[in-house]
Amino acid sequence: MALKLLDGSEAIVEAAILAGARMYAGYPMSPATELVENMARKMPESGGVCINAATEIEGINIAMGAAATGFRAATGSCGQGLALMQEAIAEAALNETPIVIFNMARNQQDYFQATRGGGWGDYRTITLSPKDIYEAVEHAQLAFHLADKYRVPVIFLGDNLLARTQMGVEVEKIDFGPLPEKDWQLDGTSGGTGNSRQIWTFGGGKANNPGPGPDGHWRRIAEKFDMIAGCEARHEEVFMDDAEVAVIAFGTGGRFVEYVVRELRQEGVKVGMFRPITLWPFPGEALEQATEDCRQVLVFELNAGQMIDDVRLNVADRKKVSAIGGVSFDESGLNLGPLMDARVIRERILTAMEGVA
Amino acid sequence: MEEDLFISGIGGQGIQLVGKALALAAISEGLYVMLTGEYGGHMRGGSSVGSVVFGKSPLKSLPNLPSAAAVIALSDQFFENVGGRLRPASLVLAEETIADKLPQLENPKLVTVPAIALATEAGSRMAAGMAMAGAYAALTGVVTVDSVVAAMKELVPAYRRQHVETNERAIRAGAAAVPPLAYPVSFDEAGAEPVQGIVA
Repeated sequence: MALKLLDGSEAIVEAAILAGARMYAGYPMSPATELVENMARKMPESGGVCINAATEIEGINIAMGAAATGFRAATGSCGQGLALMQEAIAEAALNETPIVIFNMARNQQDYFQATRGGGWGDYRTITLSPKDIYEAVEHAQLAFHLADKYRVPVIFLGDNLLARTQMGVEVEKIDFGPLPEKDWQLDGTSGGTGNSRQIWTFGGGKANNPGPGPDGHWRRIAEKFDMIAGCEARHEEVFMDDAEVAVIAFGTGGRFVEYVVRELRQEGVKVGMFRPITLWPFPGEALEQATEDCRQVLVFELNAGQMIDDVRLNVADRKKVSAIGGVSFDESGLNLGPLMDARVIRERILTAMEGVA
Repeated sequence: MEEDLFISGIGGQGIQLVGKALALAAISEGLYVMLTGEYGGHMRGGSSVGSVVFGKSPLKSLPNLPSAAAVIALSDQFFENVGGRLRPASLVLAEETIADKLPQLENPKLVTVPAIALATEAGSRMAAGMAMAGAYAALTGVVTVDSVVAAMKELVPAYRRQHVETNERAIRAGAAAVPPLAYPVSFDEAGAEPVQGIVA
């Protein structure tokens, strides 16, 4: 086995290219800048194209265009950039164009943005939230697979620690199984030939193929997202079997909480961790089962309380649920803050447990 | 077991380079490694902290270390960023001229290295960090001194090739300035940690 010393951004780029990504149209914004820099360096070597788009809106629409012709395509920025992409993400969901959107976020404040979205229509976005570089290498490939499998946009939600920490990793291609043929991809056949193809948000058609129309199209889209919700939720549990207190965390936060939970277990504290790997679909049923016998469910996230909504929706007794996270940035406002620290998390878990029998 | 290390100093001293050289050396020896840098203003004169974790299996350590077993201190300035995160009996590898300015730590294993003098003798005081990297390798055996030299050669960009020989002399001089394997690190651990995890 040959490990390479890569930072998260570089590892993600290598994994994405290995997964067959051939177009990246991104916009540099800290801490997503290294992603577009590495794409620019490596994409041409693989026969692909990297474009530093003039705006985030341009970036995602370029990616959508490439994806419509069958290429694996992605865009990326930080949450501030994804805010501008919301309309196009909704379009891609409703016109069924598989694209991957990398959000190398500055914090954990983009949970609602990722799981609720800001575009119009009945759509959802599969959101993968890796806890470390090892998992990021998997998710950077899985994102393209799921996008193609369901013809949907998929969000990869990282952060500055993931983007910039360097680790010895081996980036290996993962086989996720067969995919349907892209019989919908635009192939250059023009109108008037009888064989042209359309990718259209409103489900309209043409003279020889009228299409389902808006109502039929949007009902089918909604059914598709229901189906995805039923089969693509992923999660990780650590020490949940006999946990009296569950700590719920996502992404990098999950890795930190896992560290603290292992430490507390060695001291005999019956605490466990539950980590949603997909933020949407949220692993609600699994969470309900895992927390059934817990007397407390603590939610650790670096925001004012976003994932906690999904936790309350799924834990049987929502009165057990309380927040132990909060808004926390470093001085620059561009990075996770001092709350993302094992010592602080440990204190908050122990404080929350005091007096609750 | 995982071995962790802080490198603390001032932006411009090559703190991040020391971390990267040790990390690359470890990779070349087949170790798992994690490397992070905390450097406020991305400029000279500001605080610069590097952290490196070494291990023989995929690492569980966090990107911002709550504590570490060792620190390489090239300056007393900004040392407070890591001083409070050392464990009792941590190894403190201090540049000789600043060693007595470091806060008194509880029961440290203090080793001083005249890194600036050694580096100056080797050709450039800028190579003081390299001397400290050599000393750390020789003291702990986490990586070999030869691996550190090879990693340094890989890291120095083409337009700075003229510094390679100075760096190598500094690394070897730093290694020679400390008692070999005085604080050896072993990655073998008695009793595996409890593991229980499922992914669904």
